[in-house]
Amino acid sequence: MGFTEKKDLREGNVVLTKDLTKKFGEQTAVASLNMYVPKGSIFGFIGPSGCGKTTTVRLLTGIHEPTSGEAIVLGKNPAHFSDSDKEKIGYLIQQFVLYPQLTVWENINFAASFYGVNPFRRGHLHKLLDFVELADDKRKLAGNLSGGMKRRLSLAATLVHNPELLFLDEPTAGIDPILRRKFWDYFKELQAQGHTLFITTQYVGEAAYCDLVGVMYEGRLLMVDTPDGLRRKAYGGDVIGIRTTEGVRFEHRRQLEGQPFTHGKVKVINDQEIEMVVDEASTAIPLLVEWSQAQRLTVEMIEQKSTPFDDVFVKIIEKEAVNV
Amino acid sequence: MFKFLIRISSFLGKEFVEILRQPRLILTLVFGPFLIMFLFGLAYPEQSRPLRTTFVVEGQNPLQEQINIFTDSPNPVIINSGVENNKDMALAKLKRNQTDLVVVIPPNPLETIQNNQQAEFLIYHNEVDPFQDAYVQSVARIYVDEINRRVLKMVTEQGQVEAGSAQPSLESALAKTKAIREAVPPSDTTTATQLADLEQDLTTVNENLTTFRSLGSGVLVSPFTVRTSGLSEVTFTPTGFFAPAVIILLLQHLSVTFASLSIVRERHSGIMELFRVAPLTALETLLGKFLSYLVFEIILAAIITGLAVWVLKIPMLGQWQDYAVAIVILIFTSLALGFLISLISQTDTQAVQYSMLVLLASIFFSGFFLDLRLMWKPMTVVAWSIPATYGIRMLQDIMLRGELSPAIIFLGISAIGIGFFLIDWLLLRRHMER
Repeated sequence: MGFTEKKDLREGNVVLTKDLTKKFGEQTAVASLNMYVPKGSIFGFIGPSGCGKTTTVRLLTGIHEPTSGEAIVLGKNPAHFSDSDKEKIGYLIQQFVLYPQLTVWENINFAASFYGVNPFRRGHLHKLLDFVELADDKRKLAGNLSGGMKRRLSLAATLVHNPELLFLDEPTAGIDPILRRKFWDYFKELQAQGHTLFITTQYVGEAAYCDLVGVMYEGRLLMVDTPDGLRRKAYGGDVIGIRTTEGVRFEHRRQLEGQPFTHGKVKVINDQEIEMVVDEASTAIPLLVEWSQAQRLTVEMIEQKSTPFDDVFVKIIEKEAVNV
Repeated sequence: MFKFLIRISSFLGKEFVEILRQPRLILTLVFGPFLIMFLFGLAYPEQSRPLRTTFVVEGQNPLQEQINIFTDSPNPVIINSGVENNKDMALAKLKRNQTDLVVVIPPNPLETIQNNQQAEFLIYHNEVDPFQDAYVQSVARIYVDEINRRVLKMVTEQGQVEAGSAQPSLESALAKTKAIREAVPPSDTTTATQLADLEQDLTTVNENLTTFRSLGSGVLVSPFTVRTSGLSEVTFTPTGFFAPAVIILLLQHLSVTFASLSIVRERHSGIMELFRVAPLTALETLLGKFLSYLVFEIILAAIITGLAVWVLKIPMLGQWQDYAVAIVILIFTSLALGFLISLISQTDTQAVQYSMLVLLASIFFSGFFLDLRLMWKPMTVVAWSIPATYGIRMLQDIMLRGELSPAIIFLGISAIGIGFFLIDWLLLRRHMER
């Protein structure tokens, strides 16, 4: 029985993998990858350089064939994509691969041609250049563009055939934070237009923009979850910060660590402020307010902490190291 | 089918624009070959190289006068650069490159000949090039033949003069013999018959002497001469002869170089990865690239040919449509070879090196310099595996002879081109599927 026919397939997923593995000789680049990408979502594939992100993209686009396991993209095995399947996919390669001797317009026109886009496409291509804010630079040679402009041109070239599913391999690598933010605005807009985006990045902070995040480390997919779910999994619950006028003494901390809704030790930020992990922030906060009143502590601030994803990522890796 | 054509057209435009965006490259491509042919024409205006010759005459020599007459007369191959009476001094001049040949006149030639021996001219040169060596030997042979002819002519003329002075005595002897024969009594038939025979012999000798004196000395010494005539009514200069080969060699080299850099460059830039994900097949990629370079090279060939024929006045005796067919087939086959190089090369540098090897092989084996008929038969396989060999043959036949090459030549190069194209297709499919 083929993978696509199995009953446990989730409806509406454009990418599904089961034990997807790729080895190059003795080296395992991707090990037993199991994941799904819902249609219309932004799936962030996060991990350090060399962890297997690009190999995964190449497996999903049909460039590599898996050593074992299966991948189903848009309902097909990528290794057997037909021309019409390929027309539904857009692929942005990490490095700039277009032609420096051609202008922005000639490059995008070339991309449209090799995707077989109708020759009456001027309007469509102009809209794309407007979208990536390169309309005023269409006569510039690609070789003379800045790094950020080249990235935007590459993105436009990826969109020329209006693909259903976009694989964007490190689209924000090597560009400044302001432009990175702009790129994520583009991606959100593309999502709003109905595209599904599979985006790899090594900027852990970008996980916050995604609907689902897969954390990749040394060829293994450690977990897939929503950004909040990821935080919870990393810390074992929600992180809550409390600041009191009187300060939180040692006895108070011991009492808090003994509460049924808390996990682990209370972390001291300074004399007045602590952080703690709870099951569920929404239920724990009222209980903590009650407890403070009982202890005659004046609460200046109590809130759920949005931990930076860099820390979340480090936590996840640390947990993984412990498991190993 | 419509999308197939759109995808092919993507390369047609892209490759064209990429080349046109380099104006210096275009200028070099168009005017470079023209300039090479023009300079070639300037460099080799003469068909034979005259040799500066120093003569060594030691002591009194009866040949001195003949040598002076020969070398002082207008001569396309020998330029008299002096007479020395010391061989060592003449050889020193040869070493200093002040003369090309040293001719040592045989001492006492008449005595040597009278002793039934050949008198030997010693000729020295300083050539290391085997072709120049052969040329010098040929000139030397012609020179000695000419000296022999002149000496014989001189001796013949002397003989004619001497025959002239002997003839009155002969005629007197004939008259006396006749008178004696008439005075012999009729009964003495034996004596009368002997005298009649003698009279007949003397008459024959006299007639032969008359004939000998009446013939020109030049005809007597060299009774046969030769006149060669080619079937073509046009006489070709070296530039005219080499122009078709130069055009072919340049077009082949440009095609091979363009094509060889094309795919290897794209493999390295990473765009091939994009092609593999896109709905673009190896055949579409290859056809697109073929068409773009083919169109570009045809335009280039037209400009180069126009400049060669109308500016350099290179003869064109054949039909233009035959010329066009030959050029298109050559470019197609050369591009197929170039793409093959591109697909087996790992780097740009490697592709350029392979292209240069093809150029070198073409120069040495295509008949560009050396006639293929001189080649050791088994090695002609190498020659006929190079597109330029077919191209040069086709263009020389069309431009210089005004006729089409045998069909086997067209079939041969077409088969090679199609063979290379199929290999290119298979290799590119492997690259794009990997």
